[in-house]
Amino acid sequence: MAALTPYTYIQCPCADPSTLGHPSGPNAPTDTDADEDDRTFDPRAPRSNYSLYPLEYLLYCEDCHQIRCPRCIAEEIVTYYCPNCLFEVPSSNLRSEGNRCTRNCFQCPICIGPLAITSLETKPNPGLLAASDNTAAPHHGPYALTCSYCHWSSTEVGIKLDKPNNVHAQLARLQNGGATRLTGKERKERRADPSKAQDADGRRRGASRDGQDLDLETQFTNLKTFYQSQLADPESSDSGLAPLGDLGYSSPTSLSRIMHLYTGGGRQDKKAKSRVGAMREALGSGEGLQLAHLDESAAIAALQAAGHDGTASTTQLLEQPPHLGAAHPHGSARLAASLRPIPYLLRTKRSKRCPLCRHIISKPEAKIQTTRFRIRLVAGTYIPSLAIRALSLSSGNPPGPAAAAAAGGLLDPLKPAHFLLTFKNPLFDPIKVTLGAPAATPGRFASRVTVLCPAFEVDANTDVWDEALKDGGGGERDKERGGRERRRRKGEDGGGSGGGGGGGGGQNQLEVGKIWERGRNWVSIVVEVVPASLQAPVGGGQPGLLQEDEDVLEIPMFVRVEWEAEAGGDEVGAVVSRDREAKEKRELAYWCVLGLGRIRQS
Amino acid sequence: MSKRAPKGEYIETDTGNKVARKATLVGTQNIMLGGKTVIQPEVMIRGDLIRTIQASSQSASGAAPNNTAVSIGRYCFLSRGSCLRPPGRLYKGAFTYMPLRMGDHVFVGQGSVIQAAAIGNHVHIGAKVAIGEFAIIKDYVRILDGTVVPPNMVIPSFSIVAGQPARLIGEVPEGGHEAFELRSLYKTVGNNPHPAPS
Repeated sequence: MAALTPYTYIQCPCADPSTLGHPSGPNAPTDTDADEDDRTFDPRAPRSNYSLYPLEYLLYCEDCHQIRCPRCIAEEIVTYYCPNCLFEVPSSNLRSEGNRCTRNCFQCPICIGPLAITSLETKPNPGLLAASDNTAAPHHGPYALTCSYCHWSSTEVGIKLDKPNNVHAQLARLQNGGATRLTGKERKERRADPSKAQDADGRRRGASRDGQDLDLETQFTNLKTFYQSQLADPESSDSGLAPLGDLGYSSPTSLSRIMHLYTGGGRQDKKAKSRVGAMREALGSGEGLQLAHLDESAAIAALQAAGHDGTASTTQLLEQPPHLGAAHPHGSARLAASLRPIPYLLRTKRSKRCPLCRHIISKPEAKIQTTRFRIRLVAGTYIPSLAIRALSLSSGNPPGPAAAAAAGGLLDPLKPAHFLLTFKNPLFDPIKVTLGAPAATPGRFASRVTVLCPAFEVDANTDVWDEALKDGGGGERDKERGGRERRRRKGEDGGGSGGGGGGGGGQNQLEVGKIWERGRNWVSIVVEVVPASLQAPVGGGQPGLLQEDEDVLEIPMFVRVEWEAEAGGDEVGAVVSRDREAKEKRELAYWCVLGLGRIRQS
Repeated sequence: MSKRAPKGEYIETDTGNKVARKATLVGTQNIMLGGKTVIQPEVMIRGDLIRTIQASSQSASGAAPNNTAVSIGRYCFLSRGSCLRPPGRLYKGAFTYMPLRMGDHVFVGQGSVIQAAAIGNHVHIGAKVAIGEFAIIKDYVRILDGTVVPPNMVIPSFSIVAGQPARLIGEVPEGGHEAFELRSLYKTVGNNPHPAPS
């Protein structure tokens, strides 16, 4: 089994029902607080999947002082653009043209690769080429859309284009096979002038009016206009079947009368009378009635001719844009030959708001070509980042099992292994970190966990200039914080709860309550785990078959961060001038999950 | 040949480029490096595939022909076994190569073959990736291992793509922009590398 690189996921507090809708947990005690404190978070619970995120995916609301995950933010679309031609699509176009690119951007219906417009006569006369290679290339129609990945060509489905531009409009008028197709405008005209429609139909199929095949859009517009007329005039006596008079089966009025013969309720009758004029159903193709083709012999014959390779897969059918398939969905879009080029789905740039205070926490520039953000409050600049590294004690102690774990990636059951957790402080204030982890991991196989140093302090992040000067290059990171001038060297407040930062790399002794190593704005601590044996579940009994990823050693850990921030420092222009020196105590607490590795299955 | 007795694995230039001695650079005069770029051993850059037909505006103005075949920005990292090859196509009836442009902070994984027309800034290309001719990759794009990007594909900013052929599988989150920085990676290689920060 493949080893796995250690990971850290952070649980967004929005998933916790007790803090739901409350800005900050610890200051707002709830009735269930006692229960909440006792319960450890189970990373294997089915619901946990929906609340665990890597740090990069989390945002932070400066007003609520809370982490925000992709599930608990409100998104607003800033711009729509085509991912292929990178042109912005105004929202007015979006309403009329739909959410796909209406320029010349198409995807291959077979492999979704981009389609290129190529002339079908790509082989120019070699003599002509030799004579003058500077003249404009003799590109003449017809043109086809070709995929350079799977070599699909729109000629395979019988689509050839007259012009190399305005492909979307041309395709809208073409059916697979090259037959013309009505556009919305033409359809409207046909409705207005039935004689013309009759004429067009006669030319196309020579079918009688009632047995006419409607394509999807025509049927929909027919049905829509029919029902609209019915709604407008519900009392029309036209039940559709004149010869049968009021016995028309399709008329709901007659149906309800027949039903009354059986139920015979007088009161119901009165009620029925009060709402006179129910609607009837469509009767002809002019009203949108489309008879289902129950005779599938043609489809079977086509399937036999094309074979399995000629059928379209479900993913291909899913990629197909709705309403572009000209034919009716009754079993038609099963063959690859009926697939059409897919116009690119538009992409968006979105800004994000905190759902509680409605402040914007992320806002990209509206222009498509720029990648800058006007506002970008990511959690990584507010909460400490956590890196996990397997620790081998081979230098000092005799090579233990931890070294093996570091090398092989698999954890040996029942042999203690050590991991180094490095907390890096992004804030410009020193933070106090308190960790809490259950002694045994939840789940069927309980590994034992010991955090050797559960409380410690991490020094403040220093100014970017330190890094920049060391670097020799322009420090462009943390621009938004560039103005702050605060330097706190390591070991300045040596007291700390960690008992001084004299660690360094030299001492390789595991000591309870001691920090392993400490740097400018980071602290490393050691976590000792004794992986459970996969043969012995907690409750006893047979281990049975392992469920998916049950051999992954995941530790839930509660992280509480406390720091003193400048009061009102984050809120722009709020109460900055009143108390510059006043410190405000802040705290943030959340669950996270440390994925350490897989346990060896013996 | 060399004045210094111990030859390092890398040649370090004044602008901070670190080029492995075992890298194969063909047509070096047509390869532009922006500085602080790492080229690992067994990398191949085909600078010999230059544009054979000059753009009409240039030939008309009589300026010196621009022969740059491959231009690479700052802090790029070309891993072992990767290959940069300018794309070529028929242009006005004759076959010609077109320059390959690469922005800053571009990581190219092991064994990847790049024939893109343009790659933006802050792009991460995984291992064993094939990028087809004239593909355009914008800024902050992550291409996962084993992806095959079809020719002429445009990958917009903040995309995560994977698969054969490449398809969009996700968006780069707001907090993931810093992960594209290659300054610290640059320091970890060379003749006297700094250890990786813990």
